Amino acid sequence: MGSDKGDDDRLDGREGVSRRGFLGSVVPAAVGVAVAAEAEGAPKAVPAEPVAKAGEPLKATLRVNGRVHHVLVEPRATLLSVLREELGLTGTKPGCERGECGACTVLIDGVPRYSCLTLALEASGKEVTTVEGLMNGEELGPTQRAFAEEDAFQCGYCTPGQVMAAEGLLRANPSPALDEIRLGMSGNLCRCGAYAHVFNAVAKAAELRKGR
Amino acid sequence: MSLHALADHPFAAPRSLAEACALLAERAARGERTVLLAGGTDWIVEQHLAPAPAADAPLPLVADVSRLAELRGVAERGDAIRIGAGTTFLELRRDPLVTARLPLLAAAARDVGAIQIQARGTLAGNLATGSPAADGVAALGALDAVLELASVRGTRRVPIAAFYTGYRRNVLLPDELIAAVEVVPPAPGSPFAWRKVGTRQAQAISKVALAAVAELDRSEGPGARLTRLGLGMASVAPTVVFLPEVRALGLGRPLASIDDEALAAATLAGISPIDDVRSTASYRRHVAVALVRRFFESLRAPS
Repeated sequence: MGSDKGDDDRLDGREGVSRRGFLGSVVPAAVGVAVAAEAEGAPKAVPAEPVAKAGEPLKATLRVNGRVHHVLVEPRATLLSVLREELGLTGTKPGCERGECGACTVLIDGVPRYSCLTLALEASGKEVTTVEGLMNGEELGPTQRAFAEEDAFQCGYCTPGQVMAAEGLLRANPSPALDEIRLGMSGNLCRCGAYAHVFNAVAKAAELRKGR
Repeated sequence: MSLHALADHPFAAPRSLAEACALLAERAARGERTVLLAGGTDWIVEQHLAPAPAADAPLPLVADVSRLAELRGVAERGDAIRIGAGTTFLELRRDPLVTARLPLLAAAARDVGAIQIQARGTLAGNLATGSPAADGVAALGALDAVLELASVRGTRRVPIAAFYTGYRRNVLLPDELIAAVEVVPPAPGSPFAWRKVGTRQAQAISKVALAAVAELDRSEGPGARLTRLGLGMASVAPTVVFLPEVRALGLGRPLASIDDEALAAATLAGISPIDDVRSTASYRRHVAVALVRRFFESLRAPS
């Protein structure tokens, strides 16, 4: 995967539009789709409404943490931006925004996913779980509590993503061995280097979840 | 991409394979570029690394094909297994047909990034990006996959060995997309190898990776010979390579008669590694030879 240009470490110095500015902006993109002349063996054209176009919000139904949200979504909007800016769920963090760091990890149908690389429309009709969804009322859920009890962070910025990766791992594998924990958490970076504590927290979370 | 870069591009989300092909055809006829977005694990990342485009350069249209059901799924088709090009690596490694009949592909899929990347990245994305380090391409190469390319003109089938023409270049025409790959699975229980050498055990781009598969006729005892041999090696040339010299050397000949020196020479004939940020050419040559030799050692070992 990824680039082989030998420039993996370069930082992007470009300035972009603010995310808020983007969501409010209208971008010209007239893309008409003609119905293709059908050739032998060519995929059959289906009569259809026009394809989704940039700048034209579409209705989407997002199930997030058990609540149903009917939202209008710009087709290019990432799940990360919709969670944070439309639904106000700011527990999910933007980090690298290029699928490397894991700060934006959420569960989609129980599987850890980078919400920065996922278009919001893709999550339509699926069950999305964010770090807010792991609470037991006002109390921390077991995976969250394990991270607090094991001091599995320093600055804490990567923590919501780490917690979600752990939650996804433990849902698929309730009793992971250490090497399974390391592999399951390998998509989440911690610049403070709290990895040893993170691995302890995942093991602790496995215990706490069983005690529920 | 961040949202910032995506916001600059015109965008469309075709809802069927036919719509996607029609869109490509229309734009190709006008000489306009289209980027097909599936997992986004290559293209979005590249937008961060690429120099900012010239202000007057038209940006390509981004067409989101991630939700096209016609591009998903694994099914038997005659002797072959057909895999929808939009199938993700997570789907691959969890698919019962893939794990049972194509364990090499399942093993490679397990090593592509972390679970979050496996849940996004697709086989077609891996093929179309054509990174020299593409794990999935190495595995498909070892299995001699055939790519099914679709357009409004119909479909054509291209063997993977004929797909790449150079660094990140391939024979896809501007109006075509990769719809599926077909693989004839090796006989059940056939030996295979998936060896990825990188800096970390997970979420690392390979320094060198070897995918290999063989079918062995042991009926002659010590004269055991290979009746099928496929290899794919990543990060040792401008494209993933399929080591035709090693295949020619190994196929049909008694295994015991293939010496390490000839094997090393055949391996080196098929690669042209460079020094880059991940490794050096000389280390890559050393590892490439060792990986091929070990695969042959495993074949010679009595089973």
